[in-house]
Amino acid sequence: KVGLFSGICMIVGTIIGSGIFVSPKSVLANVEAVGPCLTIWAACGVLATLGALCFAELGTMITKSGGEYPYLMEAFGPIPAFLFSWTSLLVTKPSSFAIICLSFAEYASAPFYPGCDPPQAVIKCLAAAAIVVITIVNSLSVKLGSYLQNFLTAAKMIIVTVIIVSGIVLLAQGKTENFKDSFKDSKISLSSISLAFYNGLWAYDGWNQLNYITEELKNPYRNLPLSIIIGIPLVTVCYVLINISYFTVMTSTELLQSQAVAVTFGDRVLYPASWIVPLFVVFSTIGSANGTCFTAGRLVYVAGREGHMLKVLSYISVKRLTPAPAIIFYGAIAIIYIIPGDIETLINYFSFAVWIFYGLTVFALIVMRFTRKELDRPIKIPIIIPVIVTLVSIVLVLAPIISAPELAYLYCILFILSGLIVYALFVHFKFSWAQKISKPMTMHLQMLLEVVPAEEV
Amino acid sequence: MVEEAAKSLPMELSEKGGVENNGFVQNEAFDDKETDASSQEGMPKACAVAVEAVAEEETVLKPYAGMPKEVLLQFSSQARYRVTREILFWLIIAAAVALVCATIAIIALSPKCLDWWQASPIYQIYPRSFKDSNMDGDGDLKGIQEKLDHITYLNIKTVWITSFFKSPLKDLGYGAEDFYDIDPIFGSMRDFESLIAAIHDRGLKVIMDLIPNHTSDKHRWFQLSRNRTGKYTDYYIWQDCRQAAGSVIPPNNWVSVFGNSSWQFDDVRKQCYFHQFGKEQPDLNFRSPAVQQEIYDIMKFWLNKGIDGFSFSSLKFLLEATHLRDEPQVNKSQNGVIITAYSQLYHDYTTTQVGMHDIVRSFRQTMNEFSREPGRYRFMGSGDDEKEDIEATMMYYGTTFIQEADFPFNFNLINMKNLSGNSIFEAVDLWMKNMPVGKWPNWAVGSPNAARISSRIGKQYVNVMNMLLLTLPGTPVTYYGEEIGMENIASENVSEEHVNSDPVVVTLPEKSPMQWDGNINAGFTEGNSSWLPVNSNYQSVNVEVQMTQSNSTLNLYRELMLLRNSELPINRGWMCYIWNDSNVFVYVRELDGLDRVFMMVLNFGQESTIDLRAIVPNLPSEAVVRLSTNFSNAGKAVSTKLIKTEMGEGLVLEYKTTKPVHTMETFQDKCFVAEKACYSMALNLLYMNC
Repeated sequence: KVGLFSGICMIVGTIIGSGIFVSPKSVLANVEAVGPCLTIWAACGVLATLGALCFAELGTMITKSGGEYPYLMEAFGPIPAFLFSWTSLLVTKPSSFAIICLSFAEYASAPFYPGCDPPQAVIKCLAAAAIVVITIVNSLSVKLGSYLQNFLTAAKMIIVTVIIVSGIVLLAQGKTENFKDSFKDSKISLSSISLAFYNGLWAYDGWNQLNYITEELKNPYRNLPLSIIIGIPLVTVCYVLINISYFTVMTSTELLQSQAVAVTFGDRVLYPASWIVPLFVVFSTIGSANGTCFTAGRLVYVAGREGHMLKVLSYISVKRLTPAPAIIFYGAIAIIYIIPGDIETLINYFSFAVWIFYGLTVFALIVMRFTRKELDRPIKIPIIIPVIVTLVSIVLVLAPIISAPELAYLYCILFILSGLIVYALFVHFKFSWAQKISKPMTMHLQMLLEVVPAEEV
Repeated sequence: MVEEAAKSLPMELSEKGGVENNGFVQNEAFDDKETDASSQEGMPKACAVAVEAVAEEETVLKPYAGMPKEVLLQFSSQARYRVTREILFWLIIAAAVALVCATIAIIALSPKCLDWWQASPIYQIYPRSFKDSNMDGDGDLKGIQEKLDHITYLNIKTVWITSFFKSPLKDLGYGAEDFYDIDPIFGSMRDFESLIAAIHDRGLKVIMDLIPNHTSDKHRWFQLSRNRTGKYTDYYIWQDCRQAAGSVIPPNNWVSVFGNSSWQFDDVRKQCYFHQFGKEQPDLNFRSPAVQQEIYDIMKFWLNKGIDGFSFSSLKFLLEATHLRDEPQVNKSQNGVIITAYSQLYHDYTTTQVGMHDIVRSFRQTMNEFSREPGRYRFMGSGDDEKEDIEATMMYYGTTFIQEADFPFNFNLINMKNLSGNSIFEAVDLWMKNMPVGKWPNWAVGSPNAARISSRIGKQYVNVMNMLLLTLPGTPVTYYGEEIGMENIASENVSEEHVNSDPVVVTLPEKSPMQWDGNINAGFTEGNSSWLPVNSNYQSVNVEVQMTQSNSTLNLYRELMLLRNSELPINRGWMCYIWNDSNVFVYVRELDGLDRVFMMVLNFGQESTIDLRAIVPNLPSEAVVRLSTNFSNAGKAVSTKLIKTEMGEGLVLEYKTTKPVHTMETFQDKCFVAEKACYSMALNLLYMNC
């Protein structure tokens, strides 16, 4: 059971990934000046909080684990929910797991290859090793997994604190020249701001983390909204302060040109202890990877419960009480994603799909205000908030397509829709031959992994 | 994939398809076992289970999909599941360990990767002649920024901009008036900052000139020094000199590089100051720590601006002997004759003095402070156009324990007296055999102070020289315009005003404006005139025209760059000399572990034919012409017994062999490799210790 403190930790730990240490430049690159950059970081935090508030209402209204899945189910029926779990489980979640592990491998091997890129073999071996280790740890023991997570989150908070504190010290010493005329030379247009928001909001992705584990929260009616309302503003404050720290030692041009911003910062401020920055960034990255295991397992579990996924994937280990099949499935798909050359581009195309489902979920909130009036809503947010979030989601889905239209987006849509065929074949018509294959398979896997349905443990 | 399993199904299954299903189970278990290599033991047990299961069908104690804990635990400890489970578990653990070990092994075996200054050629820009952006006829920094696409078009990643300090001298910026400012003809500091940002945005690096030896006599320091103001008093080298009968008798016989005494009487301070070059360029006193500190500060200023490296020039002049003894005469019999020319003396007391390299090392130390950031190594090159003996030049490479310049610029190919296959070999070999072990070579065929290739050795050799430059091991330096084969302008075109206004003996014909297109002034400026006239051949020799011609110098340059970037042997492999005579120079580039070898047959004389099979045993009888200066020959297969090259033709031959030249006994002392690495085809990576 997860309490308030752990809930906040989980939100902060998942949202703060490696991005803020490596490329906080995506926002700056679009607006080109310090002032608007900080403003947009803060505004993104506000937007994320609004989005999370919508999820707080949903989470307290429908107290089921699985993030967007149960809400979509409740509001629009099984098909959108199935498409969500289909896309998430096969593409977005495992691929982001793979991506995070790849970037972990990149940071970890970079110090050994000064001046050039590490060979692909190194990055892929290390990323695969990370995936395997995380999978093993999380399927062996819940405790081990959460100890690891706590340690890595602590490491993350240490480096965040170090950067913020040294930034404040530098500010106190009068290093404020980069903040003078901070709105000068800014490039402000509708498209630049929306692109900056688009990039900025990615850094806040993960704000719906707790909704994936609603059923495991202690007193969810109190702790879910409180964690959100405390956690996300906390992250916002961290982000803004980290950016301020960066700007005390780097001009905006330098920040844009730095390969790894936190490493540059460490080198200028913490020398001769500058090595701690890359080390802790590596910890932080692997921590994010470990964190994603947590939620993916829940989604598989819920989808399996509804018959939208192979049941066996939602089973729980008899002896170790871990959702081993889900985690192994998740790890195996992630390893497949590592093998081809350049998956990051593919993922970028799919990332807009995430916003489709966010938007749809928040829209579901609005819809249910009218269709499901009878449901008890312990928290009722003003309807204007979900309206704003829905509109923002529409912008974020359309912005990349309009700014750089590419055929790849169409393929993503086609993939998502191809879930309909699967749905028709296996969920709607329930062909018996499918069961003939799946039943013995389930049985043997059960025996092999010693897993049983969760309610039977 | 997706299954609908209702709670009631298990019972249904056991009733309807019990036997059928059991058969299926049995088969599958059998298959499972087989893959796990323990089928011997597993098979009988599997049968036993099946029988047992059938027997107990009625009591529901039979495994089924979705079974609860109680049912599962009765069956899951059976050997066929337990053993498989154990094996799989340990296999996965082993896989994790193996992956980690593999990563560590690859990292440990990886060779040091080529730094940016090793990986890409350097493109040297003379800023006044590259591109004019404000129609005043003088090239400027904004102009360079406008034309950065040209550099990316060439696939070059390093730009070298020669001196642009504020300087009263019309040319070169030799003798800065202010080391912290940009000469107004090139633009403002803002222009510079935006140029640096634009260069870095494209992933390019930029290096700049720094000549610390002297300043302009207009420099603030000199003005303060001649007034004996505070610490500036000793910033320059002042000596009392006697005045007799209206003329000044200098302290000794030292002469300046440009001729005549290197001492100049100053009316304000009533003393003589020392100058290695013109009298407008007083030498800084590097024995003063304050002066050294000033230079460090200047370096830090530009490094903070984002410069990626410095090319230091005239370093050997930094220190002079304090005892001020006369330098020995070259011709001892000329006793008593007044020495006026630089070549008449041995410069034992004015060049490369003890302590000079310590100062150079301190420059390196200063730069290293800025090299700590990953990916931000700052390059240091040193160069002296004045001829120096090769041992003295090699000193700038530093030693294994004290780092100095990354490389001293190599002028061997520029200073070459006459052209032949032999002379090119000698120029190349002179550097290679003197270079300290583990260091990185570099090559240049042109510079702002030497006539362009086409004018120095002939138009027909332009392409073969580029081929040589880009296929030798090490960093090539391309002087702007060489990629299109620009020629000197006729010297009568250089107006008198330019030649005389400058005390420095500068050569101008090789500094004519870059020829961009066929428009007026070759697209260099939109103004009415350019500071130097554009070469009259600009209609045919320009970037725009050559981009469209497949047999142009520019296209060959690009093809060579592609070859360099895509082929590891040319990037960082062995070089072995194969043959040289008065006409051709032949060498190979190969890499351990790669059976693809490149052989360069370059003609620097007259048409000739060569039998390579007679020279290299085991050479395949046929090779493919990968690139040729004669575009139509590319792709043809040629017999290695009979390689014909025309005057100025260069061939890059490609062939496969299992016996590379560098492993052959006969070529042992003719091979050279810097940053040795071997290639593993299986893993597609480089490794060392091979």
